[in-house]
Amino acid sequence: MDFLHGVWLWFTNGSHWQGSDGIPTRLGEHVHLSFEAVVIGAVIALPIGVGLGHYGRFGNLAISVSNVGRAVPSYGLLVIAFTVFGLGDGPIVLALTALAIPPMVTNSYVALSEVDPDIKEAARGMGYRELVQLLRIELPLAVPLIMAGVRTSAIQVVATATVAALVAGGGLGRYIVDGFAQFDYTKLFAGALLVAALALATELLLSGLQRTLVPKGIRLLTASASRRATAFKTA
Amino acid sequence: MNRKLGPRWLLAGLAALAIAATACGSTPSSSGSKGTITVAGFNFAESSIMAELYAQALEHDGYTVNRKLRLGPREVVGPAIKSGQIDLYPAYAATDLEYYNSGAGEASGDVNATVQKLNARLQPLGLEALTPSAAVDQNAFAVTKATAAKYNLTKLSDLAPIGNQLVLGAGPECPTRPFCLPGLQNTYGIHFKDFKALDTDGPATRAAFANGAIQVGLVFSSDSDLNKLGLVVLQDDKHLENADNLVPIIRTTLATDEVKSVLNKISANLDTKTLITLNGQVELNHQDPDAVARAFLQQHNYFA
Amino acid sequence: MSSGLFLDGEPWVDWSWVSTHIPTILGYLGQHVEFTVISLAGGIVIALPLGVAAQRRRGLRLPLLGAFGTFYTIPSLAFFALMIPYTGISDLTALIPLTLYNVLILLRNVTVGLDEVPADVLDAADGMGYRPFARLLRIELPLALPAMLAGLRVATVSTIGIITIASVIALGGLGELIYEGFIESFRTPLVVGMVLCVALALVADVSLAAAKRLAVPWARSG
Repeated sequence: MDFLHGVWLWFTNGSHWQGSDGIPTRLGEHVHLSFEAVVIGAVIALPIGVGLGHYGRFGNLAISVSNVGRAVPSYGLLVIAFTVFGLGDGPIVLALTALAIPPMVTNSYVALSEVDPDIKEAARGMGYRELVQLLRIELPLAVPLIMAGVRTSAIQVVATATVAALVAGGGLGRYIVDGFAQFDYTKLFAGALLVAALALATELLLSGLQRTLVPKGIRLLTASASRRATAFKTA
Repeated sequence: MNRKLGPRWLLAGLAALAIAATACGSTPSSSGSKGTITVAGFNFAESSIMAELYAQALEHDGYTVNRKLRLGPREVVGPAIKSGQIDLYPAYAATDLEYYNSGAGEASGDVNATVQKLNARLQPLGLEALTPSAAVDQNAFAVTKATAAKYNLTKLSDLAPIGNQLVLGAGPECPTRPFCLPGLQNTYGIHFKDFKALDTDGPATRAAFANGAIQVGLVFSSDSDLNKLGLVVLQDDKHLENADNLVPIIRTTLATDEVKSVLNKISANLDTKTLITLNGQVELNHQDPDAVARAFLQQHNYFA
Repeated sequence: MSSGLFLDGEPWVDWSWVSTHIPTILGYLGQHVEFTVISLAGGIVIALPLGVAAQRRRGLRLPLLGAFGTFYTIPSLAFFALMIPYTGISDLTALIPLTLYNVLILLRNVTVGLDEVPADVLDAADGMGYRPFARLLRIELPLALPAMLAGLRVATVSTIGIITIASVIALGGLGELIYEGFIESFRTPLVVGMVLCVALALVADVSLAAAKRLAVPWARSG
């Protein structure tokens, strides 16, 4: 109880909200790193997954590459990025992007390939051209599972960005690493809480986003599919 | 027989694997040894070398040694020895004194006085410091040769007027260590523009020097490749850093005369120059600390 | 220090270092495997009964998933460090968080797997006179096996990755090679650690997929 009181005091200490080691700064760094990684990752992963899923080709290759991607330890990837590219945000974002890609590729591939072939045939019968069919029929049906992949990826990245502090990066992981080095368990615990809170906020934000983007009819149709997203811990 | 493995077999197999793994995890106890000592080191190469020197010498003398190298900074090692999780570690007289006296400012450049005060602090904790070595490794602040030329820097007090233009990089424990950031502020009046938590004299600090993220960095004075990296150490003209001679700190219950003589013999055979050479073998030649330690002990006929 | 893919002509792998360090490398590999197997076994032992209970009683599901879900959100580095005051620098410091993480994944998959057992199969079993425990053991759990094995796959690969972070606090495993590579700016142990880690995860993943195909050949792949 004493310890938790100490954590409360840590949060209510004004000086912890200012300066280059303050909560807003570290939070901002963490969000910045995570956001960049997920966005860049999505730009790369979604077209690949959607394309492969639509044409139904190389699915196994895509899944296998994703599995290999999941097998790469995040800490090692960050160290390699540091070794090759040195200090700074760039190498960290690079490593995090590499980790963000696999869930988005897998989910978007599965999402597109599971679109009911009857629907696709009906669209073709109605005269839809291929690109239009993709955009107006298949993608809306696939959005829930794609979004589930983005959500999984985002939460993974937010959690893994804490490891960036081990290679002299910024972000909320600094509180954990510095807290450990200074034997300041209050700071360490506070850092862990902040990361957990950010992950939760990310989940809520993206779930809410999904609910506004996806039409209700489609949402009901694909409800079971989007529940299949399994969170995967990399850090 | 073409029977496919049923699901029950799978569950049973997993259970057996688990039991086997647990059984393999237990370590056999050794018989005929003079006792068990757990040796720890801080998370940098020099400390691993020192810990290995202690460990191998004790092993040769008939003790069973458990190693916990790279345990962490003093803030982790200190509590570990106080609680008995570890028994022995290679300490630095002045810095450790200021750790055990919570920054009271008792350390000085006189190694004997420092060790005496250290023992006064250790005794109520059931610990003791043995005979200090002549080998010294102090915290040192370095700048690149370019920075030194630009601002005409040779000693730390030269930093006072320009501190607010410079960024300091050190391990994350620096802002709370009396010999680090607080000391620079109080003794030298240096207030830096910013502090970057990196690693003391590690890859991040070196990278930060290289890309200009920091201008002043904390390094170890016994580091072997400072010159090669283009770094120059600023002289500690106001003697902020004190007698950081290497000295074994051990739990009193294990400090038998025999153990003490083994450890003191190692301390007597070391000086700063030797330390730098040993560090170089690990840092520059990528040799392992235990191999470097073994070679040193053989060279000095410990295993004869 | 960094400077591109080929640091001053330094090779990515120094094979002489590898050949002289085989015992050390195998030691770390062994530790890594040990941590993985023990934490997975622990996860199964806890998640299986809890999962069955959570699936039987609606009221238990949310609290259980919530409790273990909370553990899951704790960053592993923080969790390992927070164990130290209680378990010191010992295997338990790594094993307890790893096991708790696995419980969440496995718990979810056990409950979902049991959920998906068709109601008419349950009715048929009851009609044939199976008592509840026998029904669980001989009908429900086998049918839930595909989902449970899928969860085991995810948990395994995830655990193997997280163990590398434990090495930062000197708890052992292949991460020690990665840490050494970082701290000494020496690429060889870094590469060896990474390659072995990925290889271990892939071998485990493929083996579990194959085991699933052997054990439940009627299941859909996935």
